[in-house]
Amino acid sequence: MNTAAPTVAPLAPYLSAPQFSLSEAVKHALLLADLNTLTEYHREHSVAYARVLARFASGRSATRVEEVPWLPVALFKSHLLSSVADSQRTTLLTSSGTTGQQVSRITVDGETADRQARGLAGSIQHVLGAKRLPMILIDTKSLLKDRLQMSARGAGVLGMMRFGRDHLFALNDDMRLDVTGLREFLAKHAATPVALFGFTYMVWKYFYQELARLGDIDLSRGTLIHSGGWKKLADEAVDNATFKRSLGNVCGLRRIYNFYGMVEQIGSIFLEGDDGLLYPPNFSEVVIRNPRTWEPAAVGEVGVVHVLSTLPLSYPGHSVLTEDLGALEHIDRPQGAGRLGRAFRIVGRAPKTELRGCSDVHAFGNSRAA
Amino acid sequence: MTTVLRILPSVGVTDLHALLDSLVRAPAHRPFAEPLVQFAAELSVRLLSDREARTIPALQALGFWTRLSALQRLRAGWDAGQGRDAVAVPRGLVFHIPPGNVDTIFVYSWLLSLLVGNRNVIRLPSQETRAIGILCRIMGEMFAAAPAVAAGTAILRYGHDDHITAALSAACDLRVIWGGDRTVRHIRGLPLAPHASEIAFADRFSLSALDASAVTALTPNALEELARRFFNDSYWFDQLGCSSPRIVVWIGSAAAVVQASETFFKALARAVKEKAYEVDVGTALGKIAYSHRAVLDLPVSAVRQLSNELLVLQLDPPCVPRADLYGAGTFFETRLEQLADLAQFVRRQDQTLTVFGFTTASTRELAVTINGAGIDRIVPVGEALSFHHLWDGNDLLRSFTRLVHVGV
Repeated sequence: MNTAAPTVAPLAPYLSAPQFSLSEAVKHALLLADLNTLTEYHREHSVAYARVLARFASGRSATRVEEVPWLPVALFKSHLLSSVADSQRTTLLTSSGTTGQQVSRITVDGETADRQARGLAGSIQHVLGAKRLPMILIDTKSLLKDRLQMSARGAGVLGMMRFGRDHLFALNDDMRLDVTGLREFLAKHAATPVALFGFTYMVWKYFYQELARLGDIDLSRGTLIHSGGWKKLADEAVDNATFKRSLGNVCGLRRIYNFYGMVEQIGSIFLEGDDGLLYPPNFSEVVIRNPRTWEPAAVGEVGVVHVLSTLPLSYPGHSVLTEDLGALEHIDRPQGAGRLGRAFRIVGRAPKTELRGCSDVHAFGNSRAA
Repeated sequence: MTTVLRILPSVGVTDLHALLDSLVRAPAHRPFAEPLVQFAAELSVRLLSDREARTIPALQALGFWTRLSALQRLRAGWDAGQGRDAVAVPRGLVFHIPPGNVDTIFVYSWLLSLLVGNRNVIRLPSQETRAIGILCRIMGEMFAAAPAVAAGTAILRYGHDDHITAALSAACDLRVIWGGDRTVRHIRGLPLAPHASEIAFADRFSLSALDASAVTALTPNALEELARRFFNDSYWFDQLGCSSPRIVVWIGSAAAVVQASETFFKALARAVKEKAYEVDVGTALGKIAYSHRAVLDLPVSAVRQLSNELLVLQLDPPCVPRADLYGAGTFFETRLEQLADLAQFVRRQDQTLTVFGFTTASTRELAVTINGAGIDRIVPVGEALSFHHLWDGNDLLRSFTRLVHVGV
């Protein structure tokens, strides 16, 4: 890490204030300067990014956060975008993907990894407190075998582990719940709060189902943080409300926080508030874009989710247009969850279309022949 | 026993070998026999008047192509082309494998083959489109009233079943494979009978060449008309047809082209709106991702996204990218000084070049200069997708018949 040069987009201003305590006006004043700095930084350090900017961006600095140029998330799948010299030591993060599907590849160096960790800490400690709690990872230990090329799931778990102690990996390699291990852990830490982390689908399928079967596990002193989307669970008709209610009923677990995040902006998690909505941390922002004009959508209007974050330095990922749909619910309304800033919800993935051609897929102008 | 789903002449699950048997034994017609021409002409009448068919431009184009006057011209041309020492006769049983990206092709292929007297078996893919649904309804009614034609036709629907395809391949006298390189390679793995022939349509690429000055000189009405024609060429079939233009080659000086390009694509954007062609979010995101990849992989000098439906990627220095193309209104554009300069960029897989603003002489000169390196047809903007029996270098009427030499 180069300690001589001043840090680009320092995180201190965002981390010294409590998370979700910055109003939009204050937050955007800070963010705008740093995001503009990052656009320039990546332009200088990444030939590919500079080329994209030259063709797509106006060249002028953004005057609003909404004007910061963005990259489509798919570009991280097709091209390896890096702002670090090849000679430097980096880790390659990959997103999860079904077989045959291209995955995102993210280059992370020591400095960016550190920023990601600090950013994540700000969010996690907001719900877990500053002290490390005994932690249950609802995953398998074998996930972390290869440190040089890590999947997003592995990086997510590893990132979370530093906020806990006396870690228990709750699942065996075959995904079966280690019931003995769980009972021992809960007995050992009977008097303290505990933290739990896992991917939403895994929590439901490999943890909740087993707890329901056992019937006598008490997690009323637990706080669960989970992520991964509701798509898989939609097939089983399990939504956020069902998820929370079921866990509460079966083991008393009531502090449950979902978050939205992605490998392209690891460290930046949009954490659920008590009102069930998602909130960006101080150093990140969300913009919902109208899918026809690509301009910022009005509050309540569903559009494509655009995420910004001041964390990424080793790769040009500070402004990314996702393939998810979402809607802003309100801005600076602390009544719901005691949080300032933007509150939004994720609607789901934009449906993946494969152009098939054929005459009628787009039946244009039904009332007239060509 | 192998069964297969037959859609036409009537719906039913049938034994494959019994089906082939009955097709082989069906009465053979002579090329351009009256019942065949009448049947094809009747299809035209139905398509042009049917309420549902009228909502689909590609079906209207098909109806127009197979109208009686066009068929009569086709027959007249056929008769005039007959040699004195040969009699043209049907090949027998023709097996058609249509492409997945243009759902009306199977009808053109089948009709041409039917007109020259062949019996036909056609494989339709599992996924039915609205156009195919409408065609099957209309044709079902027509077959019920024309048993002689029905006896010699079988339209089947099955998934990727090599077993069935192999049986049909072994039984036919001619196999026609549409659908591009991958399909052709796969089907070629299934043998034909030794006496049988094959026509294969590989991956093709198509372009448009526009004279900048001519475009700029157009009156507003004429410009809108040109844009509408270009729309028909490029947006039908989501720009995925082999004849759909993927690149606009501007001919003219740099200054002339800048002006012409802006004028033209704005007019095209208006035509797109007028025709209410819209892409969904997934496609729009796909195009955005594509444009970014293109900027990194190709000499893209400028990107213009006029709307989700119209993306223009300028290439400088001039080149013609043929791999990894996107559709639904994604156009490359480049500039050359003279039309003849296009010749050096032409490749074997180039099929259709639509043109506007050039004299017949300069167009012919281009074909001469290209000298066979590629390009099978040069037609005016608006006719890219017009089917013609001269296709991809084949005279399909000739391909679907064989000649008996009568030397006495």
